[in-house]
Amino acid sequence: MNTKVMLKDLAYARSGDKGDIINIGLMAFDKEKYEILRKKVTPEKIKAHYGPDVKGDVTIYEMPNLNSLEIVMRNALGGGATRTLALDQTGKAKGQALLYMEIDTD
Amino acid sequence: MKRVRIGSGSASWGDMMEPGIDLIEQGNIQYLGLDHLAELTLSILQRWKAKDPTKGYIPDIVPFMKGLLPPARKHGTKIICNSGGANPEAAGEVVAKIAKDLGLEGLKIGVVTGDDILPRLQEFRAQGLKFKNLDTGEEDIDRVQDRMVAANAYVGADSIIDALAAGADVVITGRASDNALYAGPLMHEFGWKFEDPYWDKVGAAVTIGHIIECGACVSGSMSSQWRSVEDVGNVRNPIAEVDETGAAIISKIDAPGGLMNAGTVKEHLVYEVHDPHNYLMPDGVADFASANLEDIGPSRVRVTGIIGKKRPDLLKVCMGYRDGFIGEGQVWFPGPDAFEKAQWAEKWIHRRLEIMNAQYDELRIDYMGVNTLHGSVPKFPPPYAKDMYECGLRFVVRTKTAEEADRLKRIPTWLWTHGPVGSASGQPFPVRPVVSLWPTLIPRELVPTTMYVKEVK
Repeated sequence: MNTKVMLKDLAYARSGDKGDIINIGLMAFDKEKYEILRKKVTPEKIKAHYGPDVKGDVTIYEMPNLNSLEIVMRNALGGGATRTLALDQTGKAKGQALLYMEIDTD
Repeated sequence: MKRVRIGSGSASWGDMMEPGIDLIEQGNIQYLGLDHLAELTLSILQRWKAKDPTKGYIPDIVPFMKGLLPPARKHGTKIICNSGGANPEAAGEVVAKIAKDLGLEGLKIGVVTGDDILPRLQEFRAQGLKFKNLDTGEEDIDRVQDRMVAANAYVGADSIIDALAAGADVVITGRASDNALYAGPLMHEFGWKFEDPYWDKVGAAVTIGHIIECGACVSGSMSSQWRSVEDVGNVRNPIAEVDETGAAIISKIDAPGGLMNAGTVKEHLVYEVHDPHNYLMPDGVADFASANLEDIGPSRVRVTGIIGKKRPDLLKVCMGYRDGFIGEGQVWFPGPDAFEKAQWAEKWIHRRLEIMNAQYDELRIDYMGVNTLHGSVPKFPPPYAKDMYECGLRFVVRTKTAEEADRLKRIPTWLWTHGPVGSASGQPFPVRPVVSLWPTLIPRELVPTTMYVKEVK
């Protein structure tokens, strides 16, 4: 049965910046939820979720030892912390936005 | 088995000093690291140094050293900091004076230099280095070279290790990586070298450095577990107790405040990392995906299993170049109909920009309370628009000149008297210059660091 859930029901997130890159550590609450994230959270879905705010590629690295995904979003910070017009200059709030992403858990 | 205890006393310029004092007085630590630099801090510091050659370091080093040096002398704690910024030599002089005034004769201050490559850019260009931009892919710094205000390589721990070997009680660096402030003392204490068979140990040092380098961000600050933090507001910074195998126990002082568990350590381990299998630092490359985190007691987390690789041949360089100006302002609207008033005001702003023939490179208007932080992610207009009791508009433009930024940033303040009834705009913000980042690489051998030790007489 398909059930829609938000990532906030499966994981914590913490995000930060390096240059024009925002990176997000997405930490599943347990192994089972990590497996769901691993299958369902794709670069395409992330790009679609953030829309025009993330202009570059999205890469996802797996960290099964920590039940976590490391998500790297390029050209995502308006040129970097000192150049961006965003209030959130270092992308620290952006990881929380990912927690609103909906996925099917089938 | 030999063990070394090292604490983290600052995560950035402007961070609190008290948690570091607590670590020295109650944490039984041999070393305290202080990180005071962010990616473009050096651009500000270089500007200060250009105006006054005795400046260009982090001014916080003055209150920090006044507060930390007396307890550090008493407890035998050594302090490693990158607060020297654009002028480690001047910072060394200032700290020596503070130490003398405090009666700390015999204190040895190590000063590390060599990271600043701004004076050598022409020389490197002549050798054929183009400094490709890692963010944008632009091949060559030609376009921005005449606007360059800072160029610093992220250097490793080599000279920090040398300074400690020479007996330094305080080590002051420029743009040493945050990480090197911690890897350095560990490598010095355990005799780990930048060669086989030490790379796993160096990888462990780099990882432990990463875990504690942002201070309280691993011990309850910035945490998803914020509801569980004890004694809210009483910040506690982390301690790493490292053994000669490279295993570590991460803890905090035994007193209420903060939060420390395998979850908070994990939160920081995944923070601002790119490829976790290849966490690149000037001193080594760590594989976090082999790390094991284990709660072994209250506020005690054991970290084991780090794999390391040889340090990279290329060092990261952060260059900063002048790139226009930002003008910013806010205006707030009360209910009834706060959101609708904000929408009316946005229309007013766009019409005004047209009438003024505004010249800007980028414009951003945020609805505060709706999409300021998450931009295009939340639905707009929000489903709760009608229920908003208050709503703000944030107006920001980037322009080529300071004059144009100053002209345009007045627009939101005009809405104070020209907006819908009840509008309020508070104190205007000053125009700020933009220094953009040009991240690039340089061969390690072109950026040797050196150190000297100065004794307080």
